[in-house]
Amino acid sequence: MKEGIGSHSLWTLPVLGPVHADTILTTWLAMAVALILLAYVGSSYRSPSVGRTQTVFEGIVDYISDMVFGSLGKTGEPFVPFFISLFVFIFLLNQFGIFPFKELGLPFGGSPTGDINTTIALALIVFVLIQVMTLKRKGIGGYAHLFKPIFLAPINILEEIVRPVTLAARLFFNIFVGELLFIIIASIVTAKVMIGPVNLSIAVAILPFFIQFFNFFVGTVQAFVFTLLGIVYLSLATAEDH
Amino acid sequence: MSSESLVAAATILAFGLIVLGVAFGSAIGDGIVASKAVEAIARQPEARPNIFTFMFLGVGVLEAFPIISLGLAFYLLLVVANVPGLLAHLKH
Repeated sequence: MKEGIGSHSLWTLPVLGPVHADTILTTWLAMAVALILLAYVGSSYRSPSVGRTQTVFEGIVDYISDMVFGSLGKTGEPFVPFFISLFVFIFLLNQFGIFPFKELGLPFGGSPTGDINTTIALALIVFVLIQVMTLKRKGIGGYAHLFKPIFLAPINILEEIVRPVTLAARLFFNIFVGELLFIIIASIVTAKVMIGPVNLSIAVAILPFFIQFFNFFVGTVQAFVFTLLGIVYLSLATAEDH
Repeated sequence: MSSESLVAAATILAFGLIVLGVAFGSAIGDGIVASKAVEAIARQPEARPNIFTFMFLGVGVLEAFPIISLGLAFYLLLVVANVPGLLAHLKH
Protein backbone atom coordinates (compact mmCIF):
# COMPACT_ATOMS: atom_id res chain seq x y z
CA MET A 1 0.00 0.00 0.00
CA LYS A 2 2.91 2.32 0.67
CA GLU A 3 3.74 2.82 -2.98
CA GLY A 4 0.27 4.27 -3.53
CA ILE A 5 1.14 7.60 -1.96
CA GLY A 6 2.90 10.28 -4.00
CA SER A 7 2.85 8.25 -7.22
CA HIS A 8 0.65 9.37 -10.08
CA SER A 9 -0.33 7.89 -13.40
CA LEU A 10 1.01 10.05 -16.20
CA TRP A 11 -0.30 11.41 -19.48
CA THR A 12 2.24 12.72 -21.95
CA LEU A 13 0.90 15.80 -23.70
CA PRO A 14 2.51 17.23 -26.88
CA VAL A 15 3.68 20.58 -25.48
CA LEU A 16 3.47 20.26 -21.71
CA GLY A 17 5.18 16.91 -21.33
CA PRO A 18 4.08 14.45 -18.63
CA VAL A 19 1.12 15.52 -16.48
CA HIS A 20 -0.60 13.78 -13.55
CA ALA A 21 -3.63 12.06 -15.07
CA ASP A 22 -5.38 11.06 -11.85
CA THR A 23 -5.20 14.58 -10.44
CA ILE A 24 -6.67 16.07 -13.61
CA LEU A 25 -9.47 13.48 -13.83
CA THR A 26 -10.41 13.96 -10.16
CA THR A 27 -10.38 17.73 -10.58
CA TRP A 28 -12.71 17.44 -13.57
CA LEU A 29 -15.00 15.20 -11.53
CA ALA A 30 -15.01 17.73 -8.66
CA MET A 31 -15.72 20.53 -11.14
CA ALA A 32 -18.65 18.57 -12.59
CA VAL A 33 -20.02 17.87 -9.10
CA ALA A 34 -19.65 21.53 -8.11
CA LEU A 35 -21.29 22.80 -11.32
CA ILE A 36 -24.23 20.38 -11.16
CA LEU A 37 -24.76 20.95 -7.43
CA LEU A 38 -24.58 24.74 -7.66
CA ALA A 39 -26.74 24.80 -10.81
CA TYR A 40 -29.35 22.74 -8.95
CA VAL A 41 -29.18 25.02 -5.91
CA GLY A 42 -29.35 28.13 -8.08
CA SER A 43 -32.29 26.89 -10.17
CA SER A 44 -34.32 25.84 -7.13
CA TYR A 45 -33.69 29.18 -5.45
CA ARG A 46 -37.04 30.79 -6.17
CA SER A 47 -39.12 27.93 -4.85
CA PRO A 48 -41.26 28.99 -1.88
CA SER A 49 -40.06 26.26 0.50
CA VAL A 50 -36.56 26.67 1.90
CA GLY A 51 -34.84 23.29 2.03
CA ARG A 52 -31.80 22.14 3.92
CA THR A 53 -29.46 22.44 0.92
CA GLN A 54 -30.46 26.01 0.32
CA THR A 55 -29.97 26.88 4.00
CA VAL A 56 -26.43 25.45 3.97
CA PHE A 57 -25.46 27.33 0.81
CA GLU A 58 -27.02 30.56 2.03
CA GLY A 59 -24.94 30.15 5.19
CA ILE A 60 -21.74 29.77 3.15
CA VAL A 61 -22.59 32.73 0.91
CA ASP A 62 -23.50 34.93 3.88
CA TYR A 63 -20.39 34.00 5.79
CA ILE A 64 -17.92 34.64 2.98
CA SER A 65 -19.60 37.82 1.79
CA ASP A 66 -19.54 39.09 5.38
CA MET A 67 -15.81 38.41 5.53
CA VAL A 68 -15.20 40.12 2.17
CA PHE A 69 -17.25 43.19 3.10
CA GLY A 70 -15.65 43.27 6.54
CA SER A 71 -12.09 43.48 5.27
CA LEU A 72 -12.50 45.07 1.80
CA GLY A 73 -15.46 47.35 2.38
CA LYS A 74 -17.83 48.28 -0.43
CA THR A 75 -15.07 47.90 -3.04
CA GLY A 76 -14.93 44.17 -2.35
CA GLU A 77 -18.30 43.40 -3.92
CA PRO A 78 -16.96 42.08 -7.29
CA PHE A 79 -14.81 39.53 -5.47
CA VAL A 80 -17.58 37.83 -3.49
CA PRO A 81 -18.45 35.24 -6.21
CA PHE A 82 -14.76 34.52 -6.78
CA PHE A 83 -14.07 33.75 -3.13
CA ILE A 84 -17.26 31.72 -2.72
CA SER A 85 -16.36 29.55 -5.71
CA LEU A 86 -12.78 29.27 -4.43
CA PHE A 87 -14.02 28.02 -1.06
CA VAL A 88 -16.51 25.53 -2.52
CA PHE A 89 -13.98 24.23 -5.05
CA ILE A 90 -11.15 23.73 -2.52
CA PHE A 91 -13.58 22.16 -0.05
CA LEU A 92 -14.75 19.64 -2.67
CA LEU A 93 -11.18 18.90 -3.78
CA ASN A 94 -10.11 18.28 -0.17
CA GLN A 95 -13.00 15.94 0.57
CA PHE A 96 -12.54 13.82 -2.56
CA GLY A 97 -9.77 11.85 -0.81
CA ILE A 98 -12.41 10.18 1.37
CA PHE A 99 -13.82 8.11 -1.51
CA PRO A 100 -11.65 5.04 -2.24
CA PHE A 101 -11.81 5.38 -6.05
CA LYS A 102 -8.17 4.38 -6.54
CA GLU A 103 -8.51 1.27 -4.40
CA LEU A 104 -11.47 0.18 -6.54
CA GLY A 105 -9.23 0.28 -9.62
CA LEU A 106 -10.60 3.43 -11.21
CA PRO A 107 -8.10 5.75 -12.96
CA PHE A 108 -8.92 8.67 -10.66
CA GLY A 109 -9.07 9.16 -6.91
CA GLY A 110 -7.33 10.75 -3.98
CA SER A 111 -7.45 14.44 -3.16
CA PRO A 112 -6.26 16.63 -6.03
CA THR A 113 -4.99 19.07 -3.40
CA GLY A 114 -2.67 16.30 -2.21
CA ASP A 115 -0.71 17.09 -5.39
CA ILE A 116 1.39 20.24 -5.16
CA ASN A 117 0.63 21.24 -8.78
CA THR A 118 -3.02 21.89 -7.93
CA THR A 119 -2.29 24.02 -4.87
CA ILE A 120 0.40 26.04 -6.65
CA ALA A 121 -2.07 26.75 -9.46
CA LEU A 122 -4.72 27.90 -6.97
CA ALA A 123 -2.21 30.09 -5.10
CA LEU A 124 -1.02 31.59 -8.41
CA ILE A 125 -4.61 32.51 -9.27
CA VAL A 126 -4.89 34.44 -6.00
CA PHE A 127 -1.43 36.00 -6.48
CA VAL A 128 -2.19 37.19 -10.03
CA LEU A 129 -5.56 38.56 -8.90
CA ILE A 130 -3.83 40.56 -6.16
CA GLN A 131 -1.19 41.98 -8.50
CA VAL A 132 -3.77 42.89 -11.18
CA MET A 133 -6.01 44.58 -8.62
CA THR A 134 -3.05 46.51 -7.17
CA LEU A 135 -2.17 47.81 -10.62
CA LYS A 136 -5.80 48.58 -11.48
CA ARG A 137 -6.73 50.37 -8.25
CA LYS A 138 -3.51 52.24 -7.52
CA GLY A 139 -1.40 52.06 -10.67
CA ILE A 140 2.32 51.47 -10.40
CA GLY A 141 2.33 53.54 -7.21
CA GLY A 142 0.66 50.63 -5.46
CA TYR A 143 4.09 49.09 -5.08
CA ALA A 144 5.57 52.20 -3.44
CA HIS A 145 5.04 50.81 0.05
CA LEU A 146 7.54 48.06 -0.73
CA PHE A 147 10.34 50.64 -0.95
CA LYS A 148 9.89 52.53 2.28
CA PRO A 149 12.25 52.40 3.98
CA ILE A 150 14.50 51.67 1.05
CA PHE A 151 16.90 49.34 2.87
CA LEU A 152 14.03 46.98 3.73
CA ALA A 153 12.97 46.66 0.07
CA PRO A 154 14.45 43.15 -0.49
CA ILE A 155 12.66 41.79 2.60
CA ASN A 156 9.36 43.40 1.58
CA ILE A 157 9.60 42.00 -1.96
CA LEU A 158 10.50 38.58 -0.57
CA GLU A 159 7.47 38.72 1.74
CA GLU A 160 5.25 39.47 -1.25
CA ILE A 161 6.63 36.47 -3.16
CA VAL A 162 6.61 34.08 -0.19
CA ARG A 163 2.85 34.56 0.40
CA PRO A 164 1.60 32.37 -2.49
CA VAL A 165 4.31 29.80 -1.71
CA THR A 166 3.13 29.42 1.88
CA LEU A 167 -0.51 29.36 0.73
CA ALA A 168 0.25 26.47 -1.62
CA ALA A 169 2.52 24.62 0.83
CA ARG A 170 0.03 24.93 3.70
CA LEU A 171 -2.86 23.42 1.74
CA PHE A 172 -0.72 20.74 0.05
CA PHE A 173 1.03 19.47 3.18
CA ASN A 174 -2.13 19.40 5.29
CA ILE A 175 -3.98 17.21 2.81
CA PHE A 176 -0.95 15.12 1.85
CA VAL A 177 0.08 14.33 5.43
CA GLY A 178 -3.53 13.45 6.23
CA GLU A 179 -3.49 10.80 3.48
CA LEU A 180 -0.01 9.68 4.53
CA LEU A 181 -1.06 9.21 8.18
CA PHE A 182 -4.08 7.22 7.04
CA ILE A 183 -1.93 4.90 4.95
CA ILE A 184 0.70 4.50 7.69
CA ILE A 185 -1.93 3.58 10.30
CA ALA A 186 -3.49 1.18 7.79
CA SER A 187 -0.09 -0.42 7.20
CA ILE A 188 0.32 -0.86 10.98
CA VAL A 189 -3.05 -2.60 11.06
CA THR A 190 -2.12 -4.95 8.22
CA ALA A 191 1.40 -5.61 9.59
CA LYS A 192 0.07 -7.87 12.45
CA VAL A 193 2.50 -6.80 15.17
CA MET A 194 2.54 -9.74 17.61
CA ILE A 195 3.79 -9.71 21.20
CA GLY A 196 3.46 -13.30 22.35
CA PRO A 197 -0.08 -14.43 21.51
CA VAL A 198 -1.51 -10.87 21.55
CA ASN A 199 -2.07 -9.15 18.22
CA LEU A 200 -1.27 -5.50 18.99
CA SER A 201 -2.49 -4.29 15.61
CA ILE A 202 -6.09 -4.89 16.68
CA ALA A 203 -5.66 -2.00 19.14
CA VAL A 204 -5.18 0.59 16.39
CA ALA A 205 -7.83 -0.84 14.06
CA ILE A 206 -10.31 1.87 15.14
CA LEU A 207 -7.84 4.71 14.44
CA PRO A 208 -8.38 5.08 10.64
CA PHE A 209 -11.98 6.10 11.36
CA PHE A 210 -10.82 8.96 13.61
CA ILE A 211 -8.10 9.96 11.18
CA GLN A 212 -10.62 10.17 8.36
CA PHE A 213 -12.82 12.36 10.57
CA PHE A 214 -9.80 14.52 11.39
CA ASN A 215 -9.06 14.78 7.65
CA PHE A 216 -12.60 16.00 7.03
CA PHE A 217 -12.12 18.68 9.70
CA VAL A 218 -8.68 19.67 8.39
CA GLY A 219 -9.97 19.86 4.81
CA THR A 220 -12.78 22.20 5.84
CA VAL A 221 -10.54 24.41 7.98
CA GLN A 222 -7.84 24.61 5.31
CA ALA A 223 -10.32 25.55 2.58
CA PHE A 224 -11.58 28.27 4.90
CA VAL A 225 -8.04 29.42 5.77
CA PHE A 226 -7.04 29.56 2.10
CA THR A 227 -10.07 31.70 1.25
CA LEU A 228 -9.69 34.00 4.25
CA LEU A 229 -5.96 34.52 3.70
CA GLY A 230 -6.69 35.36 0.06
CA ILE A 231 -9.18 37.99 1.24
CA VAL A 232 -6.72 39.37 3.81
CA TYR A 233 -3.86 39.61 1.28
CA LEU A 234 -6.18 41.31 -1.22
CA SER A 235 -7.30 43.82 1.40
CA LEU A 236 -3.68 44.52 2.37
CA ALA A 237 -2.77 45.13 -1.27
CA THR A 238 -5.76 47.33 -2.17
CA ALA A 239 -6.19 49.25 1.11
CA GLU A 240 -6.57 52.98 0.49
CA ASP A 241 -3.94 54.22 2.94
CA HIS A 242 -1.73 52.62 5.55
CA MET B 1 27.92 -2.25 12.51
CA SER B 2 27.09 -2.01 8.85
CA SER B 3 26.54 1.32 7.17
CA GLU B 4 22.90 0.43 6.43
CA SER B 5 22.09 0.00 10.11
CA LEU B 6 23.92 3.25 10.91
CA VAL B 7 21.84 5.15 8.31
CA ALA B 8 18.61 3.56 9.55
CA ALA B 9 19.42 4.37 13.20
CA ALA B 10 20.41 7.97 12.44
CA THR B 11 17.29 8.56 10.34
CA ILE B 12 14.95 7.11 12.93
CA LEU B 13 16.64 9.26 15.62
CA ALA B 14 16.26 12.35 13.43
CA PHE B 15 12.61 11.49 12.78
CA GLY B 16 12.03 11.17 16.51
CA LEU B 17 13.71 14.51 17.19
CA ILE B 18 11.63 16.25 14.52
CA VAL B 19 8.40 14.79 15.88
CA LEU B 20 9.46 15.81 19.41
CA GLY B 21 10.02 19.42 18.42
CA VAL B 22 6.89 19.56 16.28
CA ALA B 23 4.63 18.13 18.98
CA PHE B 24 6.16 20.33 21.69
CA GLY B 25 5.92 23.59 19.75
CA SER B 26 2.49 23.05 18.21
CA ALA B 27 1.01 21.92 21.54
CA ILE B 28 2.26 25.08 23.25
CA GLY B 29 1.04 27.28 20.39
CA ASP B 30 -2.41 25.65 20.28
CA GLY B 31 -2.64 25.90 24.06
CA ILE B 32 -1.90 29.63 23.96
CA VAL B 33 -4.50 30.21 21.24
CA ALA B 34 -7.18 28.19 23.04
CA SER B 35 -6.51 29.77 26.45
CA LYS B 36 -6.66 33.28 25.00
CA ALA B 37 -9.92 32.38 23.22
CA VAL B 38 -11.42 31.12 26.49
CA GLU B 39 -10.31 34.32 28.24
CA ALA B 40 -11.85 36.45 25.53
CA ILE B 41 -15.14 34.52 25.62
CA ALA B 42 -15.25 34.83 29.41
CA ARG B 43 -14.75 38.57 29.10
CA GLN B 44 -17.21 39.11 26.23
CA PRO B 45 -19.59 36.14 25.87
CA GLU B 46 -21.60 37.93 23.16
CA ALA B 47 -18.58 37.91 20.82
CA ARG B 48 -18.36 34.12 20.93
CA PRO B 49 -18.99 33.28 17.20
CA ASN B 50 -16.46 35.87 16.09
CA ILE B 51 -13.85 34.62 18.54
CA PHE B 52 -14.44 31.03 17.44
CA THR B 53 -13.89 32.03 13.80
CA PHE B 54 -10.59 33.69 14.56
CA MET B 55 -9.53 30.87 16.88
CA PHE B 56 -10.04 28.32 14.12
CA LEU B 57 -8.30 30.60 11.65
CA GLY B 58 -5.32 30.95 13.99
CA VAL B 59 -5.16 27.23 14.65
CA GLY B 60 -5.42 26.53 10.91
CA VAL B 61 -2.58 28.90 10.07
CA LEU B 62 -0.50 27.63 13.00
CA GLU B 63 -1.06 23.92 12.31
CA ALA B 64 0.47 24.32 8.86
CA PHE B 65 4.01 24.50 10.20
CA PRO B 66 3.96 21.26 12.25
CA ILE B 67 2.22 19.52 9.36
CA ILE B 68 4.82 20.79 6.87
CA SER B 69 7.70 19.66 9.08
CA LEU B 70 6.00 16.32 9.68
CA GLY B 71 5.69 15.90 5.91
CA LEU B 72 9.38 16.70 5.46
CA ALA B 73 10.24 14.24 8.27
CA PHE B 74 8.28 11.50 6.50
CA TYR B 75 10.01 12.42 3.27
CA LEU B 76 13.36 11.98 5.06
CA LEU B 77 12.27 8.67 6.57
CA LEU B 78 10.56 7.03 3.60
CA VAL B 79 12.16 8.53 0.48
CA VAL B 80 15.63 9.90 1.24
CA ALA B 81 16.80 7.12 3.58
CA ASN B 82 14.14 4.51 2.64
CA VAL B 83 14.17 3.04 6.15
CA PRO B 84 11.60 0.25 5.50
CA GLY B 85 13.75 -0.97 2.61
CA LEU B 86 16.89 -0.79 4.77
CA LEU B 87 15.22 -2.71 7.59
CA ALA B 88 13.98 -5.39 5.22
CA HIS B 89 17.52 -5.61 3.81
CA LEU B 90 18.98 -5.96 7.32
CA LYS B 91 16.61 -8.78 8.28
CA HIS B 92 17.85 -11.07 5.51
